[in-house]
Amino acid sequence: MNNDSKKGRGREKTLTFIDRNRIFLLFGVVFLVMALFAPRFMTSFNLTTIMRTTAMNATAAIGFTLILIVGQLDLSIGTIITFAGVVGLGLKQYIGYGGSVPIAILAGCAIGLINGLLVAKAKISSFIVTLGMLTLLQGAIYTITRGNSISLSSPDAFAVSDWLARMIIPLITPRVVITLVLVGGFTVFLRLTRVGRNFYMVGGNRQTAWLSGMDTDLYTIVAFVISGFTAAVGGVLFAMEGAAATLNLGNTSLMYVISAVIIGGTAMSGGKGGVLKSFFAILMLDVLYNGIILFGLGNEVKIFIAGIILAAVVLYEAYTRYKHDKTVGQRAELLKEVDELKERIKTAKHRAAV
Amino acid sequence: MKRPMTLVLVLLLALALPAAVFAGGQKEAAPGAAAAAAGNLERSLAVDTSGLKSEDGQPLIILQEKQREVPSRPANPDALPEDDPLHWWDIEFAGWNANKQNIPESPKDGAIGKSIVFIVHGDHPWTTACTLGAQKIANAYNMKFKPLSPNWDLAVQNQMIDQAINERPDMILLIPLDAKTAPQQARKINQAGIPLILFNTLPSAAAMDYCITWTGPDDFGQFRMLSRVWADEMKRIHGTSGVGVAYTQHAPGGSPYFARCWGPISELSGYAPWVKTLDKQAPGFEADKTMQLVSDWLTRFGRDLKGICAADDSSQALGIFEALEKAGRRDVVVVAAGNSKVGMDLVKDGKLFAITYQTAEGDGALAVQTAADWFNGKEIPPVKYLPKHIITKADVEDFYPPQW
Repeated sequence: MNNDSKKGRGREKTLTFIDRNRIFLLFGVVFLVMALFAPRFMTSFNLTTIMRTTAMNATAAIGFTLILIVGQLDLSIGTIITFAGVVGLGLKQYIGYGGSVPIAILAGCAIGLINGLLVAKAKISSFIVTLGMLTLLQGAIYTITRGNSISLSSPDAFAVSDWLARMIIPLITPRVVITLVLVGGFTVFLRLTRVGRNFYMVGGNRQTAWLSGMDTDLYTIVAFVISGFTAAVGGVLFAMEGAAATLNLGNTSLMYVISAVIIGGTAMSGGKGGVLKSFFAILMLDVLYNGIILFGLGNEVKIFIAGIILAAVVLYEAYTRYKHDKTVGQRAELLKEVDELKERIKTAKHRAAV
Repeated sequence: MKRPMTLVLVLLLALALPAAVFAGGQKEAAPGAAAAAAGNLERSLAVDTSGLKSEDGQPLIILQEKQREVPSRPANPDALPEDDPLHWWDIEFAGWNANKQNIPESPKDGAIGKSIVFIVHGDHPWTTACTLGAQKIANAYNMKFKPLSPNWDLAVQNQMIDQAINERPDMILLIPLDAKTAPQQARKINQAGIPLILFNTLPSAAAMDYCITWTGPDDFGQFRMLSRVWADEMKRIHGTSGVGVAYTQHAPGGSPYFARCWGPISELSGYAPWVKTLDKQAPGFEADKTMQLVSDWLTRFGRDLKGICAADDSSQALGIFEALEKAGRRDVVVVAAGNSKVGMDLVKDGKLFAITYQTAEGDGALAVQTAADWFNGKEIPPVKYLPKHIITKADVEDFYPPQW
């Protein structure tokens, strides 16, 4: 093997490493820039604020990542967040958090189950099903609340709120712990268990998965249930910490989570992605937004920068897919042999000429 | 799996160490401490902001000449019917019976040089004008002024509040995104020991316990006033039989949602009981959605619909007039919350009958002026209203050029 091919392989390895870990690197770069230049960024209070901000969308992103991995879409996560918050706080005054929180989370799972059944069994496009669910839930929320946000100002509600927001150690509050446990649990589940890896197969090639004996419908339904579960957990915890649930609580979460999950490297076509990467994508965006505010820049800058990052990631994805499509079916070792042969002929011709 | 994890761990460890060091280092004294210099109070008290003007040529700071009379709170307002004005007591008079808690004492060392964080609710031309007004007063006192906008996102507003607390300014001024979430937001700022002024949208009563004061428009008062002018005009045109009206509401959750709909309904139940409410809906702030809603009303109620009260005099008003013009209805008396350029032009054209005077610049300015007064050691009432005025074709010219 000559030096050029060694260099080529080294370069290829580096590029593969960067490609696989791009979100971690991106997070590192953004964090470092903010740490060095943003005023008051590196205070434990500010870093804890970032973690607390990340918690709701990061929790919802877990389920959404799974949905994309199985090749589907869930547009209802934002309204499930709101619905769970409204149910969790609305019922609290009657049955306490002990009853209202499990009901809110179960409601999220039930919504996911309905979505999943309609997609998997009735064979309706997940875009249509979840768009319909989004609208239906919005109507339900307005009907239940009669247009009023729900708030609790009793001492016990504030006590729970304070407990969820209190710093256990720098960066970590109980709500952050719950998010981290869920992120860790689902990362391990998807990477290290056979059932978890099957989700990738269902999304990567549904037909092959079915031919391998997998119940692809069941995996799709479970993915929607998990999506409903994580969105509900995110929503109800956020509402509990704020001691209030507004009617547009999760409105901006949908686009935020979609952007972050894509930036994190989860393919919209299915079969590729990871919960940990989605978590770091959300964290990266929150660090970025936090820094932008600390610099005293406006919301327009924030939207602009987020747009640039998303556009860059989508372009990069398109480029790698183009490259992949161009070389698909080609045998790399044969191409290398041809290249070496060409090189030898060229050298022989050169010698002959000399 | 191992590689990214290792990478992340290394990164976090590398960054957590300086974090801990910086955390201690950056907890220095608040920037406003410098303002304690001798003579600052005298210089601050000498600042005169009465000559400052809004872009519409009106004085920037106008206080309501006569404070509103506050009726006694009923034992249980919720038990009263919704069309009883006292049913809305807790929203309309939020703050008047506040049980103030842990409110910091004024340093009485002058407003000059103080740092304030000004958190609004979202991006909108109104907000731009409001921030401009606030900036004018802040500049007059040479305050360090930091405006923040969460773009209508509660999670982002909560994050901004945390970040503002982290910056330890001399005061935070906040427009709560939602009346019901305001108590926890206000409580958090209060617990951090930072003085707080709430302004513009009325929060729920519990939030008033944690702030120095609330400043802003008397939305209920304005709409009670507007509804009387509206009823008089409908009576003049249509008489008092078969007069049905409908309301396009503000975004649910905030005080304008209630004030701009239930204010007139409860006022008219006493002043003009012959006015019948046909429907009320919140179409958002999009002209096309409002147009569709009003077209549906015209189909459903036909000639019974004699008046429309809009929570917004720009997009909603445009949608209303598009629908009315398509249906050939010029007899419907429309009033709205104003006073944007669109609204004032519609009044000038004789389409909109009346709008409320809502000085956006004055709203922001009053909040910052009140902050300055507090730093200067002046007595601050629990609620400070902007003046009430109804703009009609007769005086609309006085309010040009519009603020937004």
